[in-house]
Amino acid sequence: MNWRRYFFAFIITASIFGTAFYAAARLDARRIADIRTAQESVSTDILSSEIQYELLGNLDCKTISQNQVLSSELNSLASRLSVAENNLGTTNAEVKQLKKQYSLLQIKDYLLMEHISQKCHVKPVFVLYFYSNAGDCVDCGHAGDVLTYLRQQYPGLRVYAFDYNLNLSALRTLVSLRHLSGQLPAYIINDRDAVYGFKTLDQIQTLIPELKTMSTTTATTTSEY
Amino acid sequence: MDIGTLGVYLCLFIALYFEVFLLISFLEKQPTQKTTTRPTHFPTVSMLVPCWNEEKTVGKTIESLLALDYPKDKLEIVVIDDGSTDHTLEIAQSYTTNPQVKAFHKENGGKYTALNFGIERSTGELLGCLDADSFVAHDGLIEMVKSFNSDPTISAITPAMKVFKPRSILELMQSVEYTFGIFYKKMFDNLNAVNVLPGPFSMYKREVFKKIGVFKHAHNTEDMEIAFRMHAHGLKIVNAHTAYVYTTVPQTVRALIKQRTRWSQGFLQNAKDYNYMFFNPRFGNFGMLVLPFGITAFFAALYTASYVVIYFFYNTVKNVLDLYATGLPFQLPRFHAEWFYLNTSMMTFLIVATLCMTLLAILIGGKIAHTKLTLKSYLSYIFLFGFIAPIWLTRALWGAIRAKESAWR
Repeated sequence: MNWRRYFFAFIITASIFGTAFYAAARLDARRIADIRTAQESVSTDILSSEIQYELLGNLDCKTISQNQVLSSELNSLASRLSVAENNLGTTNAEVKQLKKQYSLLQIKDYLLMEHISQKCHVKPVFVLYFYSNAGDCVDCGHAGDVLTYLRQQYPGLRVYAFDYNLNLSALRTLVSLRHLSGQLPAYIINDRDAVYGFKTLDQIQTLIPELKTMSTTTATTTSEY
Repeated sequence: MDIGTLGVYLCLFIALYFEVFLLISFLEKQPTQKTTTRPTHFPTVSMLVPCWNEEKTVGKTIESLLALDYPKDKLEIVVIDDGSTDHTLEIAQSYTTNPQVKAFHKENGGKYTALNFGIERSTGELLGCLDADSFVAHDGLIEMVKSFNSDPTISAITPAMKVFKPRSILELMQSVEYTFGIFYKKMFDNLNAVNVLPGPFSMYKREVFKKIGVFKHAHNTEDMEIAFRMHAHGLKIVNAHTAYVYTTVPQTVRALIKQRTRWSQGFLQNAKDYNYMFFNPRFGNFGMLVLPFGITAFFAALYTASYVVIYFFYNTVKNVLDLYATGLPFQLPRFHAEWFYLNTSMMTFLIVATLCMTLLAILIGGKIAHTKLTLKSYLSYIFLFGFIAPIWLTRALWGAIRAKESAWR
């Protein structure tokens, strides 16, 4: 009996496991870094739009509206954040931090959009969607699927998705201002009163009649955000 | 991490450990190349050919034996017809005009009875068994005898088994599997732990049967049981990787499952009969590695297959219910070209590592026995084996459980 062979085989196998763990962790770290870079880019874009808005006021609405480009970047960020959350878990500190930053960016984009729409008399179609993935909202997954589908079908539709349980003062203020009851999922569509409970595709299309006038695409993806 | 996933990690660890162990064994002692040197001594050889309804292949099998590169006066061919209902006996008898060939008929009693019948009626110092659906390479016997001559402590030898003219997808799949088998049989030889003496062209010294007795029913796997018994008596079995034998393999999924169920169930039942050898250092690597790994691999494969089936079933049902609940149309999953969306989990890396190790073992097996496999063969193996194997493993387990219940009555 050559016991050394048994021992070396164990060491090598354990090393392969260790290498796999290290490689997976490194790539997850790179994903986090990638999301952070994307968030910084979006943040810069929002800041740029805000400054542009301040500089131009309502004098040149055409220029301002042409530069409202954040929807697609935010969508891309949402899909990446969803992957990171699936890989690392919803309780991961890095993921939670990124979600907070993402939520802030959404709020900033939402506020900027509101200002621009008032000044320039444009009527964007948007949904503020509040969900929870802490296990206390069984229908939130379905609601997220429906909104993701709509966002893919109607690129002009702006969906701002917020984790209701996220410990973020700006988000709490938004919840308070909108008088949300805490029942989830909750939708605020185009500043109308909040709607609670899961809505199917047909129901949500009925709730957003503006969709009929929007252009569509055939792109597909799934994301909670 | 849920307990189901943890179990898959454990299975992957066991699979990797075993493959690493065999690769270390390969690096320590690499197989020698075939040489043209002749044996220094030509012992008398009796080739036993048990057959039951083998009229399609028995003639070709006998001809392959007659064509062997071996002194005619040292080689006898003993064909034992085990009560065939077709023309097997007539075909075998048509060769008895050759003084090397003897053909016998007996009542049907199973392969092991035919082999024992042949042992009694043969005279060779060495006894070879050859299924009537297999064909030996021209120099196969010479290579076997060279191995016997090289070490007087050798009691039995297994050949390198190849699939005879694989054409269909199922045959190509089995040709890859047999090539993998060439690798691990050689590595088992390095570890002195060869676990089976397969029907196609395994050879024994006659004294083996005097020491430990003849073949037994052994749950229809007499070739496996005798290897277990030889290890129990400390007899040496080696693998002659330069002695090629070509065997016909099942051509339908049904026949393949039937054959493999018999092999797998035989392994379970023989392992139970010889359970005292498990983790017993007295039986070397056979007791410490090959037997425990065999049983563990059996249940690990069943576990992993069950996990995958349940996972896909659960997700399919969930997706259908989700579509029903949301009212969304069915959409194919979207493919993202960016690396960000690739699955780079630890499990993915480990599955890739295990597959790479398996592929490496197959490549080494091909190099050892000069077998060339096509891309189609590899694809057949990758996409078919994992789907079919769990079926025969499940059937084998069920059969073994039922056999256990019967034995208690």
